[in-house]
Amino acid sequence: MIDVQNLNKKYGNTTALDDVSFNVGKGQTFGLLGPNGAGKTTAIKLLCGLIRPDSGIVSLNGKTDPTLIEVRRSLGVVPQSLAIYEELSAEENLHFWGRIYGIRGRKLREKTADCLKIAGLLKRRKEKVSKYSGGMKRRLNMVCSFLHEPSILLLDEPTVGVDPQSRNLIFDTIEAMKKEGRTIIYTTHYMEEAQRLCDKIAILDHGKILDIDNVENLITRHGGPSHIEAELEEKISDVEKIKMFVDDKDIQLEERIIRFKTSQPMESLAKLNRSGLRFHSIKVQTANLEDVFLNLTGRRLRD
Amino acid sequence: MNKVFFLAVKDIRVLMSDRGNIFWVLVFPLVFAFFFGAIYSDAGEGPTGMKIAVVDEDKSDFSTSYISKLESSDALKVSLLSREEAIEQVRKSRIAAAVIIKKGMGDGFEAIFNSEEPKIEIAADPSRKMESGYLQGLLAKAQFEALSGNFTDRNWMKDQISQWRGEIEDANDLDTRQANLFLDLFDSFDTLFDDINDQNLKMGFNGDILNFSQTNISRESDGPLTSFQITFPQAMLWGILGCAATFAISIVKERAGGTFQRLLVGPTGRAHILAGKGAACFITCSFIMCIQYIGAKLFFKMPVGDLPLFVLAYLCTILCFVGIMMLISTLGRTEQSAGGAGWAIIMIMAMLGGGMMPLYFMPAWLRSLSNISPVKWGIYALEGAIWRNFSLMEIAIPCLILLAIGFAAFLLGVYSLSKQQD
Ligand SMILES: Nc1ncnc2c1ncn2[C@@H]1O[C@H](COP(=O)(O)OP(=O)(O)OP(=O)(O)O)[C@@H](O)[C@H]1O
Ligand SMILES: [Mg+2]
Repeated sequence: MIDVQNLNKKYGNTTALDDVSFNVGKGQTFGLLGPNGAGKTTAIKLLCGLIRPDSGIVSLNGKTDPTLIEVRRSLGVVPQSLAIYEELSAEENLHFWGRIYGIRGRKLREKTADCLKIAGLLKRRKEKVSKYSGGMKRRLNMVCSFLHEPSILLLDEPTVGVDPQSRNLIFDTIEAMKKEGRTIIYTTHYMEEAQRLCDKIAILDHGKILDIDNVENLITRHGGPSHIEAELEEKISDVEKIKMFVDDKDIQLEERIIRFKTSQPMESLAKLNRSGLRFHSIKVQTANLEDVFLNLTGRRLRD
Repeated sequence: MNKVFFLAVKDIRVLMSDRGNIFWVLVFPLVFAFFFGAIYSDAGEGPTGMKIAVVDEDKSDFSTSYISKLESSDALKVSLLSREEAIEQVRKSRIAAAVIIKKGMGDGFEAIFNSEEPKIEIAADPSRKMESGYLQGLLAKAQFEALSGNFTDRNWMKDQISQWRGEIEDANDLDTRQANLFLDLFDSFDTLFDDINDQNLKMGFNGDILNFSQTNISRESDGPLTSFQITFPQAMLWGILGCAATFAISIVKERAGGTFQRLLVGPTGRAHILAGKGAACFITCSFIMCIQYIGAKLFFKMPVGDLPLFVLAYLCTILCFVGIMMLISTLGRTEQSAGGAGWAIIMIMAMLGGGMMPLYFMPAWLRSLSNISPVKWGIYALEGAIWRNFSLMEIAIPCLILLAIGFAAFLLGVYSLSKQQD
């Protein structure tokens, strides 16, 4: 469906993308996770043909030129910056973008109503966009790309600057799109978003892809051990007894609380339980994509 | 084609949603036309001097002094011609009027003040009332000055009186008592002229009693009938300029704001978007033209010489500025920079081209410099249709220049726009 091979893009001396390759199957949601300046927007622009790569191939639906009109019709791009007409109302914006894609008449009215509903803007559809809040504008910015029912969706950080409620609305929408079998590329620097939405994630930093896989595999490979904090029913005195069951040499004991790291939290806890320890409560903090990024780059996703 | 239409409709909507835009493209030009039209209508031909010809058929001392008074006036540019030459020049519109001093002008009071047979004839086009009235005032002034020169000349006055004395002495139908009354009066005049100082003598006359005969000569081409015919072409250019600037800025705004890129990602090419802008600019200008035309006709009673040529001139002017709009839109990456640069260029074009000050008020060097400004050609073409009575061939010159400038600017604009990365 989407196939990207050895993409390179430089802006003057800045390397925005460095030998980037990935592929996304039909119906998959692919995440590009990286901090500011990682090259996410550059990748999206190359994918939709707004800019040309210095070298490398982008292939969408088997076509290697994204500027072909048939490719563009099947493409929906939600740009990172707001690209809507502030002087027009939400409804007028949707009508305009729909007409540009050749949608007319009843279909246009229906699709517009759908999109207004998704964006939660039905009540304020006649108001000028300039009077909307930032979150409302973002939502409209997103649904303007849904009108023509594209089979490929490229979303560039659609949740920047929106409140948790709007964000959930956006997630629900994307999940609905996923269910409809659309192929989605989603860029973000929020690891929770990538974790929740994406089937496959590429970790991008300084224009380079550090690894690509699904969340579990990435965490297993780069996330490091889970942190476990358990409160015991009664005090124990012998740490050595526990160490037999847990491979962490730095196990800490503090009154009735033990803390240790393990790459297999469930198994370790089961073993301890079988050895006769009674737990009052257990806290398991598994590794996440933040840890993956930290371990891969030595930096946090967001500084 | 459909896409271009929807793009254009969107652009016009966006434009109209901003009251500031409406003011600059619609209200301001009309206010401009009205304001300056009203000012110029009192100013007459103004400081450059009205060109007239003087025909001296009298060749007396008086007519010579009269002509020298006319020549010394700043408001007039006088050339001495024969009657035929002078009338031909009026017909060709090269001069505003011909002033013919008939034989007998210098013969004395009776000749000058004889309303049965005026000794001064003005040959001018009847439609140029404004100038004609102005000229009559100037003529009366010169005549009065020439006359008062004679009045202050005691010998000339004494000659006059002795001439009248002779006439009375010869008159048989006057009885002696009446004749002596006049002769006493003339005696006292004589002593009066000996005693009186010059200052007192200069007073007491004014130009009202002078009279002229008027000959109407229809011209081959008319000058402006009302000052609105001068200010409306300017106003129309302002409307078009405002429109071009607004749309140029809207292109920059779309590029900076991302909607341009979003359109590019859709099934719309660059050509569609720019064609849409061009179409929107064209439609808006045409709409403005209609409003201005109706306003000019209805409220200012402005005569338009040739409507089809007027439409042609206007369309060529619009097309020219659609091209210039494209070029302006490449001048900056942000609304502010492009807007600033765009308005600066427009102001210069307008100033040079006579958009602010009519060309005939300009010094000659500036007038020749104005040829590089499309505003000049726009105004010239519009004037050609409105009052210069251009033929199709004559109007074709400014129209072709406009189209050429517009086309070149369009190509240059589209080229550099496609060179700039989005
Ligand atoms: N038009 C441009 N000219 C010069 N350099 C650019 C341009 N666009 C991007 N860059 C550079 O390319 C690199 C990648 O930029 P890009 O916009 O792709 O990052 P991003 O991952 O989208 O970041 P963000 O999360 O902030 O949106 C950055 O170093 C940026 O400075
Ligand atoms: Mg970005």
